[in-house]
Amino acid sequence: MTKELIRLKVNGETHELAIAPNKLLLDVLREDLGLTGSKRGCDDSSCGCCTVLIDGMPMLSCVALATSYQDAEITTVEGLARDGELDPVQEAFMSWGGAQCGFCTPGFLMTTHALLEKNPDPTLDQVREALASNICRCTGYTQIYESVLAAAQKIREKRKNEIAISK
Amino acid sequence: MTMPGFRVIRPSSVDEAVRVLADNGPEAMVIAGGTDVVPNLQMRLFAPRVLVDIKGIGELRGITCNDRVGLRMGALTTLTEIAEWKFVERCFPVLGSAVRSVAGPLQRNMGTIGGNLCLETRCLWYNQSEFWRQSLGGCLKKQGDVCHVAPGGQRCWAVWSGDSAPALLTVEAELEIAGPGGRRRIPLAEFYRNDGMNRIALGRGELVVAVHVPVSSAFRRGVYRKLRVRDSIDYPLAGVAVAMKVDGQGICRAARVALAAVNPAPQLVHAAAERLEGKRYSAELVEEIAHEAIRTAKPLTTSASTPVYRRDMVRLFTRRALEELWQTRRGNGEKRAG
Repeated sequence: MTKELIRLKVNGETHELAIAPNKLLLDVLREDLGLTGSKRGCDDSSCGCCTVLIDGMPMLSCVALATSYQDAEITTVEGLARDGELDPVQEAFMSWGGAQCGFCTPGFLMTTHALLEKNPDPTLDQVREALASNICRCTGYTQIYESVLAAAQKIREKRKNEIAISK
Repeated sequence: MTMPGFRVIRPSSVDEAVRVLADNGPEAMVIAGGTDVVPNLQMRLFAPRVLVDIKGIGELRGITCNDRVGLRMGALTTLTEIAEWKFVERCFPVLGSAVRSVAGPLQRNMGTIGGNLCLETRCLWYNQSEFWRQSLGGCLKKQGDVCHVAPGGQRCWAVWSGDSAPALLTVEAELEIAGPGGRRRIPLAEFYRNDGMNRIALGRGELVVAVHVPVSSAFRRGVYRKLRVRDSIDYPLAGVAVAMKVDGQGICRAARVALAAVNPAPQLVHAAAERLEGKRYSAELVEEIAHEAIRTAKPLTTSASTPVYRRDMVRLFTRRALEELWQTRRGNGEKRAG
């Protein structure tokens, strides 16, 4: 198959890549860019392990053709930490045991990050609904939900402090 | 699984997409959100030479609604956009209820209304890897000549598994279709052929451009009830959409009932409309309509639950939906429509 030259913006960096037109975004991230945080779980859009943000919206990279997202801002789990500092969501998952085997964790982190960007004060029901596309076989979800609510609180406190400082 | 080889064409206008689709005929397939098409490609259910990626066509995006022409949703409108559209609960609650039940939030962020209305039919014997299917010699729908659901029959029973179609049938939606001969509009009910192998009435070069819902069916109370194993991600094992208008005296002024996942097409329960109109609530009447619903439903062994259970749930869901809509103010069409 003739390769196609495409441009992908991932975690703020633009890459030019020659890829086959049938290549999935997940495979380009993992194989061509070495970003192996996003995982292939089910391979048919029903587990959420491959979740990345496309223009801020969590989506499944295992059913996305890479060539279709050339104008988008793509964020993977590798892009969550800023300046060597973990995202509050990552910290909360660590402190509250939100990850066990870790395979589904990148997907949960991305979906949670997007949820809290939109709604930093979700109810437990809203958290459950937002994470309904992500499957975890270890935790039984309770610790994940605790992590998400803890991250939300952290984000709200951080914002409050920032407002206080700027005043 | 791996992807088959194909070329990708990314048209930037509807005219261009129609030209590409007409030129390539059955060799071409449309891809939008990819949530249905990509897993099916990986299972080798399709082998297109050309994939037409329509995501770059701006004209296919967005929702417009006014009291003159009603609701228009571009084919690329995502299910999340519809679920979050601020008037959906007030104007078309049955649609909101149905789109919120599709798969899970991540699939809804990608999946489009056009895609959901053109979904491939599904069957336990069909939606499997090539290796799995070939170990049984294929099936009527793909690479074989025997239907494992109804052996001896020449008809494919793969089920209609979209949730938004039955909801849109209850509000008399129409489809706007672009093709080599220009644009046409057809009632959504005429789009479905009730044939698992040849599910929708799209000719060569044709593309679904938008969904229209007339003003006359706005403000109906409505709800969609869905049977599935898990409360998320799963396709329906049965689905019942009900929309109805009830006046201040509790008399039904219009009603539609439609089913998903129990036939090769989403189907209106035709008896419901005439038997409910002009009537007051009664438990017997509701039971009668629930019985009509199971006469319309033809569940077979296509899905991960038994036909008997799915039929029972169609009856139960129809009854509960009618009771709920008739006896409460859910769907709140009342205040506005009077």
